[in-house]
Amino acid sequence: MKNFVRFLSKYFITRLLISLLVIFIGVSIVFLIPRLVPGANPAEMAIRRLQMSGAYLPAESMEKMKQALLKLYGLEGSLLSQYITFWRELLKGNLGPSFASFPTPVITLISRSLPWTVGLLALTAILSWGVGTILGGIAGYKNRGVWVRVVEIVSNAVRPVPYYILALLLLILFAYVLHWFPTGGAYRIGLTPTLSWNFVKSVVKYGFLPALSLIIVGIGAWFLNMRNLVSNITGEYFVSFARQMGLKDSIILKSYVMRLAMPAQLTGLGLQLGFIFNGTIITEIVFNYPGLGTLIYTAIMQSDYNLVMGTTLFSIVAVALATLIVDLLLPFIDPRIQYVPS
Amino acid sequence: MSLGHVKRFVLVVLLIAGITGLAQEILPGVTRSEVIIIEDPSGRSLNPTRFNLWGGGVSSWSTGIQQLCLGALWYIDPDAGIEGDTWINLLAADAPIYNNDNTEMTVKLRKGIYWSDGVPFTADDLVFTVETLKNHPEMTWGAYMQVNVKEVKKVDDYTVVFKLVKPNGRFHTIFTVRWSACYVMPKHIFEKVEDPVAFDFYPPIGTGPYVLKSYDPNGYWFLWELRKDWERSDLGVAFGKKPGPKFVLYKGVASPEKKVMDQMAHELDIIHDLPPEGAITLSQNNPYCVTWFNGWPWAHPDPTLPSLIMNHEQFPYNLKEMRWALTLAIDIVQVVLQSYNGCATISPIHVPPTGKGPEWYFDKIEPWLKEFTIKVGSETFKPYDPNIPSKIADAVKYAYGYKVPEDFDQIKKMVGYGWWKYAPDLAEKLLKSVGFKKEKGKWLLPDGKPWKISILCEASTRSVMTRAAAAVAEQWRKFGIDAQIEAVEASMLWNRMNYGEDKDTIYWAWCIETWGGHPDLFWFLESWHSDYYRPTGQTVVAKNPMRYKSEKIDKIIEALRGTDFFKGTEEMINLGLEYVKTCVEDMPIIPMFSYNVFTVCDGYYWTGYPTSNDPYTNPVPNWGNTRFMFLKLQPTGRK
Repeated sequence: MKNFVRFLSKYFITRLLISLLVIFIGVSIVFLIPRLVPGANPAEMAIRRLQMSGAYLPAESMEKMKQALLKLYGLEGSLLSQYITFWRELLKGNLGPSFASFPTPVITLISRSLPWTVGLLALTAILSWGVGTILGGIAGYKNRGVWVRVVEIVSNAVRPVPYYILALLLLILFAYVLHWFPTGGAYRIGLTPTLSWNFVKSVVKYGFLPALSLIIVGIGAWFLNMRNLVSNITGEYFVSFARQMGLKDSIILKSYVMRLAMPAQLTGLGLQLGFIFNGTIITEIVFNYPGLGTLIYTAIMQSDYNLVMGTTLFSIVAVALATLIVDLLLPFIDPRIQYVPS
Repeated sequence: MSLGHVKRFVLVVLLIAGITGLAQEILPGVTRSEVIIIEDPSGRSLNPTRFNLWGGGVSSWSTGIQQLCLGALWYIDPDAGIEGDTWINLLAADAPIYNNDNTEMTVKLRKGIYWSDGVPFTADDLVFTVETLKNHPEMTWGAYMQVNVKEVKKVDDYTVVFKLVKPNGRFHTIFTVRWSACYVMPKHIFEKVEDPVAFDFYPPIGTGPYVLKSYDPNGYWFLWELRKDWERSDLGVAFGKKPGPKFVLYKGVASPEKKVMDQMAHELDIIHDLPPEGAITLSQNNPYCVTWFNGWPWAHPDPTLPSLIMNHEQFPYNLKEMRWALTLAIDIVQVVLQSYNGCATISPIHVPPTGKGPEWYFDKIEPWLKEFTIKVGSETFKPYDPNIPSKIADAVKYAYGYKVPEDFDQIKKMVGYGWWKYAPDLAEKLLKSVGFKKEKGKWLLPDGKPWKISILCEASTRSVMTRAAAAVAEQWRKFGIDAQIEAVEASMLWNRMNYGEDKDTIYWAWCIETWGGHPDLFWFLESWHSDYYRPTGQTVVAKNPMRYKSEKIDKIIEALRGTDFFKGTEEMINLGLEYVKTCVEDMPIIPMFSYNVFTVCDGYYWTGYPTSNDPYTNPVPNWGNTRFMFLKLQPTGRK
C-alpha cells in the first residue's frame, strides 16, 4: 500500500499531467496550424470548390458570399476569441460543424468512419503483432530450420513491396481472377447495417482482403523486429547460464528471452494502436473501404479546420493514452524497469 | 507439415470459402442488365444524406442529384445538343424574355411537370427558390440573387417575372446549366423547414425522371430508380421519351487501376476519366469499349482551357516580351506527346477549341493568326504555325503507332488548329530586348540574378497536367531557364494561384471556360474587367488570377454586356474575335490545350453513348448535361 501511494504521488500523477499537457499542446497546435496557413480560409475554399467543380459564381456576388459564409462558420472573431470558444465547446463535447460538409457535425462524420477504421486496424494490428512477435521470437531463438528461413525470406521479400502494389495484387488475384472476394466496399450493396448474420458475414467477406493486405505487411515488420531483438538477447550471458543450468528451451524462450524483448514490441504496439485513428488512406482507396483516412485527407485538403481538429484530437488522445498505458505496464513485463526507487 | 496441420489448413480454406461463397452478387434484387453503373469522380461522399445543393456542404454533385433528380430552367449543351440544338428549355417552356433595357426577365414554365412525390411544379416553386436564396447570401446562389434581384413575382401558375437591380442581359445564365446551375427547389418541402441551410433535403425530391432508391451510408454509391410516372418528369414532358436504364448506380472508385479492372469485368459502365494509358488499354482490350473518338485521340475535349498562368504583378511576368518569349520556347508537339500521349486538342488562342468554338472563332481567326507579326527591333516574325496538327499526327504515328487519319481537316477536328512555332532564337531576341542576359547558357534577369521558374501544377488528381508541366519545364531548362515543377494537391494550387504571392511561379491551371454550345464569352470574361481587379495578396474575383488589366478588354466586356444573348450571335462573335486578337498581342496567359477527358464507356450492357459521330451531349458523367444521355441509352439485351 505504501509503495502504491509512493507510485501514485511520485510517478503516476506526474506522468498523467505530462500526458494531459501533451494533449493540450497537441490540440492547440492543430488549432493554430490551419489558421496560420496563408489562404486556407474555409469560406474561400467553399467558393473555390464550387468554382473548381464548374458551378457559376459571378464576380459581384463572390465577396458577399464569402462574408456570409464566414459569419455562418463562426470565423469572424479574432484568433484568441476563436481559441477560447473552441476550448469551451470542446469541453462540452462539441467539435462543431464540418465546413466542407456544412452543417453536418464533425462528430457525426467521425462516428460514421471510426468503427470501420478501428475494427479493421485494431484487429489487423493486434493479429499481425501477435503472429509476428511469436514467429519472430522463435525464429530469433532457434535461428535455424527450414521454416525459419522460409518465413525470413518471405518477410524480407514482402517488406520492400510498396503497399499499394501489394494491395492491388491481392485485389487482382482474389477479386478479379478468382472472384473469391468482392472488388471493394465495406459490405454488400443493399444490406442495412444490423447485427444479423447476413450483415456480419458480408462485413467479414468485404473486409477480408483489406485485412489480409495489412496483416501481410504488418507481420513481416513485427517478425523482423522481434527476430533481431531476440537474436541479440540470445547472445547474453544469462541465456548461456540458463542453458548450462539445464533449463528447457521453451522456458528460456518464454520467461527469459521473449519477456525481455517485449517492452520494445509493446511500445511499438501501443503507438501503432494510437496511430489507428489516422486511418489508412491507401487501403481505403484501393478497396473502397470507408474509414478515417479519406476523412482526414479531405479535411486537410479543404481547410476544414473543425474536421482536422476532430480527427486529430482522437489521434492525439489515443497516442498519449497508449504511451501512458504502455509505460504503466512495462514494469510488470520487465522487472528491471522501476519508476519509483525501492 | 503433419497430417493434422494439413487437415486444419483445409478446414480454414473451406471456412473461408463458405463465408465468401462462389458467386458474386452485384445488386441484390436488381438485375445487372437493368442498371447502368457510372463512376462518381468525387469518390466517397462524406455526408451521403445531404442533397441540399442550395444550402451547400454537399460532398459530391456527381451522385445523380444534379444529373437525374433536380432540374434547371435551361441547359446549354457543350456539344451538339440532344435534338441538334445546344439551347435546351427544360423546366422553362421557352427562352427568357427580357424587356428593352434588360431590367426585367420573364420566364414561361412548362406545364404538366410534377415533382417526384406527385406535387405539380409551378411558378410558386421558382419564386420561392429565388426568395429563399435572396434571404440567405450564404447559400450557393444566394449572394447572386441578393445582388441582382429586386423583386420576383408570379404572374400566373406558369409565368414568373424578375425585376432586376440593374440592367443585366445575362441574368438567365445563373439558371442555365453548363456544368451546373441554380436548380429549382420544391417549395412544398422547403417551406416546412425552419433553416434551409441546415436542412439536408433527404430524401431528395426532384423534377427529374429518377428517384433515390438506396444509398451507401458510407458514401460510396447511390442507386436511383426510374420514376413510375417518368412521363410527368421534366425529361418526360420536354421530350416524351422514356429513359433507357431502369436503375442508375453512381459509384465512387478512387483508384484508376481499379476502374480499368472493373470495366474489363463489365462492372463499371462509364468511367469518368483515366490517365491516357488506362483509356488506351481499355480501348485495345475491351471489344465493347466506347470512347468519344473511336481511336486516336479517344478523349472528349471539355470547353475548358488549361494554360500557363502568370501573375502580372510579379516581375518579370509583367513584361509582354517575356511572356511571348516563354511561349516561343515551348515545343507544343513534345508537350502533347509527353502529357497526353499525343491525345491533346491544342489551342493557340484564348478560347477552348471545342464544341462549336472552332466554327465560331478558330476558322474566323486563323487567317489573321497566319499574318500576325511580332516585331523585335527591326526584325519581324510570324509566330503562328498552322501545320502543328500534322506534326502531332506524324509524331503520334511514329512514337505510338496509332492509326491517324490522312485528311488534314479531320486531324484538325481531333487535335485542334495550329499553335505557336518553337522559335528559341526569336525568344532569345525578345528577352534581350527587355534587358535579360544569357551567360554560359543560363538566363539572368535584367538585375543580373539567375532566372528561376517554378511551375505549380496538380499532382495525383490530374496526372496529365503534372506531365505537361514537366515537359514545359524541361524545354525551358533546355532554353537556359532554371525551371522546375512543384506538384501539389488541387486545392493548394488553386488557393495559391488566387492569392498570387508565390515568387518565380507560373501556375498550370485554367481561368478560361466557355459554354461550348454558345459563343458568348461573357461567362468567364466578366471577371477580367478592371472593376473586379484584386491586387496580389487578396483573393481574385472569379477568373483573373493573372491580374491582367487592359482597357481594350474592359471595353469588350462592356460591349458584350449590352449584346443580346439570343439574337446577337454575330456581334458576340465579333467582340470575341477582338478579345482573341487583344490576348494574342498581349499573351496574358499561355493557352495550351482543352481539358481532354478520357471518359470510357462499356457497350456490353448499354448502347447509345454520345460519341464524336453522334455528339448529342457531353458523356463526362459529372456534368449536369449528362441527364440527356439517359434518353438515348438503351439496353443491349445481354444478361
